Amino acid sequence: SVQAHQEEDNPQKTMEVNGLTPVPESYDYDLIVIGGGSGGLAAAKEAAKYGKKVMVLDFVTPTPQGSSWGLGGTCVNVGCIPKKLMHQAALLGQALQDSRKFGWQFTEEVKHNWMTMTESVQNYIGSLNWGYRVSLRDTKVTYENAYGEFVGPHTIKATNKKGVEKLYTAERFIIATGERPRYLGIPGDKEYCISSDDLFSLPYCPGKTLVVGASYVALECAGFLAGLGLDVTVMVRSILLRGFDQDMANKIGEYMKEHGVNFIREFVPIKVEQVEEGTPGLLKVTAKSTTGDQMIEGEYNTVLLAIGRDPCTRKIGLDKVGVNINEKTGKIPVNDEEQTNVPHIYAVGDILQGKLELTPVAIQAGRLLVRRLYAGATAKCDYVNVPTTVFTPLEYGACGYSEETAVEKFGEENIEVYHNHFWPLEWTVPSRDNNKCYAKIICNIQDNERVIGFHVLGPNAGEVTQGFAAAIKCGLTKEQLDSTVGIHPVCAEV
Amino acid sequence: MGWEETQVRGYPEFVRTAQSYHGRPIFALFCGDKDAEGKSWCPDCVTAEPVVRKELHNLPDESVFIYCLVGDRAYWKDPNNEFRRNLKLTGVPTLLKYGTPQKLVEEECFKAELVRMLFTED
Repeated sequence: SVQAHQEEDNPQKTMEVNGLTPVPESYDYDLIVIGGGSGGLAAAKEAAKYGKKVMVLDFVTPTPQGSSWGLGGTCVNVGCIPKKLMHQAALLGQALQDSRKFGWQFTEEVKHNWMTMTESVQNYIGSLNWGYRVSLRDTKVTYENAYGEFVGPHTIKATNKKGVEKLYTAERFIIATGERPRYLGIPGDKEYCISSDDLFSLPYCPGKTLVVGASYVALECAGFLAGLGLDVTVMVRSILLRGFDQDMANKIGEYMKEHGVNFIREFVPIKVEQVEEGTPGLLKVTAKSTTGDQMIEGEYNTVLLAIGRDPCTRKIGLDKVGVNINEKTGKIPVNDEEQTNVPHIYAVGDILQGKLELTPVAIQAGRLLVRRLYAGATAKCDYVNVPTTVFTPLEYGACGYSEETAVEKFGEENIEVYHNHFWPLEWTVPSRDNNKCYAKIICNIQDNERVIGFHVLGPNAGEVTQGFAAAIKCGLTKEQLDSTVGIHPVCAEV
Repeated sequence: MGWEETQVRGYPEFVRTAQSYHGRPIFALFCGDKDAEGKSWCPDCVTAEPVVRKELHNLPDESVFIYCLVGDRAYWKDPNNEFRRNLKLTGVPTLLKYGTPQKLVEEECFKAELVRMLFTED
């Protein structure tokens, strides 16, 4: 078990925490941030605003396939940004089909070019990487493209890609090293499979793809690959979108199935072999049932693993400075001020135990932490009622409790669920599904029917959910919701 | 071999010149035309040029520095001019590393540190 450090009430400590005592001459920096992703960069830039001397260390260990990327972390390079752009590419394909019903005439068949899309996406990402570097240099934050690890209580060793080592000291540290995709641990996985780290810069079209996993990463990738016209199969060990409202998760799965994504349920791959080399080549996957002895085989051009992500906390010298991690998961437990068990070492982002793995959460946590450290602020990051969206072909936006968790916490008799299917007006003319879009709210009867869960499945779910998240934060009740006049004709009016 | 500078005017000449140096790192500074006294109609370009020139010695070996006059003020203001359309330039001065998303625009060009970063880092 792990103990989070308890701060003693101590005026000297309070002064130090508020940055009012001078930095000892012996430290190179006030703050070193390990990891230049969403959380790390937000914290570094914020600290620079208060005149602190800050260094950011960012380094990407190449994937087994050799992929690497620039400054900005997962979200910018191999996460949210390229994902949403490729999701958009797939939606545009659908829109082109719909457009004929709205009168657009084009005689050529519509095809998709993977390389054109990928080049545009990578070009945009490149401009973001550059933008971050300009921003850091402009705010006098020192950035080094080097792998940071602790070698002493206040000392970091930074190793660049040429193997050159340098030592730096700082008064405080923020660990923001994020996560990387997990591999299966079966023969052929690292040699032949790719992960989301490789997909968004893949220099050839993936072709017929097997996606292993049932996470939002797996379903979003499977979704846009299918939307681009590829033959996609998803291999699921048990349930879809663990941790999300299962009613909604199943609807997402159904929609994907009806729109051309194949699902293989209750199987796990046990080996991957190469049938033919190439870009893409041909791979043979052997899988075993989780419920019996049945074995199946399939051939695919690409196998994309999306079975989970592991924190990058095992090889950064945390043992040398006594920072506790959860040995099983690699996550770092922190108190509600993002402080580890070592008082001068903090952590933000995906690596935190028990916190949401989302870019805006990391950014918020990083900024507020720095304001508390150097600007005398007291506000802590609010991890409750954080809205999220899954960008599957039918988008899913949510804020608050899932139905299952609400029932568990409040009791079935104390919650009321209101729900509705809806048919987006834009879908009527092109004769798209009239019974797939769906909205549901979960209310706490004992608290004025306060809205404690919001779920919507439909186009632009992210845009719809954002506003309702603010309302929920203000304590929205069912009555208030009912008395809000709808905008017509939009999906959100439901 | 160190670096070399070449000066061009207008979009077609710029493209021809950039193509002729294909294979070498190319950096380009785009400025508004200069009058008979050698003064540009673009005040930010007047400020930026000496800053950029002072950092040129940091250019990597083999690279080419193209100094490009884009045209007169009226040409530049036209939202459809070839530099805006094809090179996606949004303002002058712009200093960029050709063929990459790396660029500095307007006041960013006044900062020696940023210019040096563009010239020397990957």
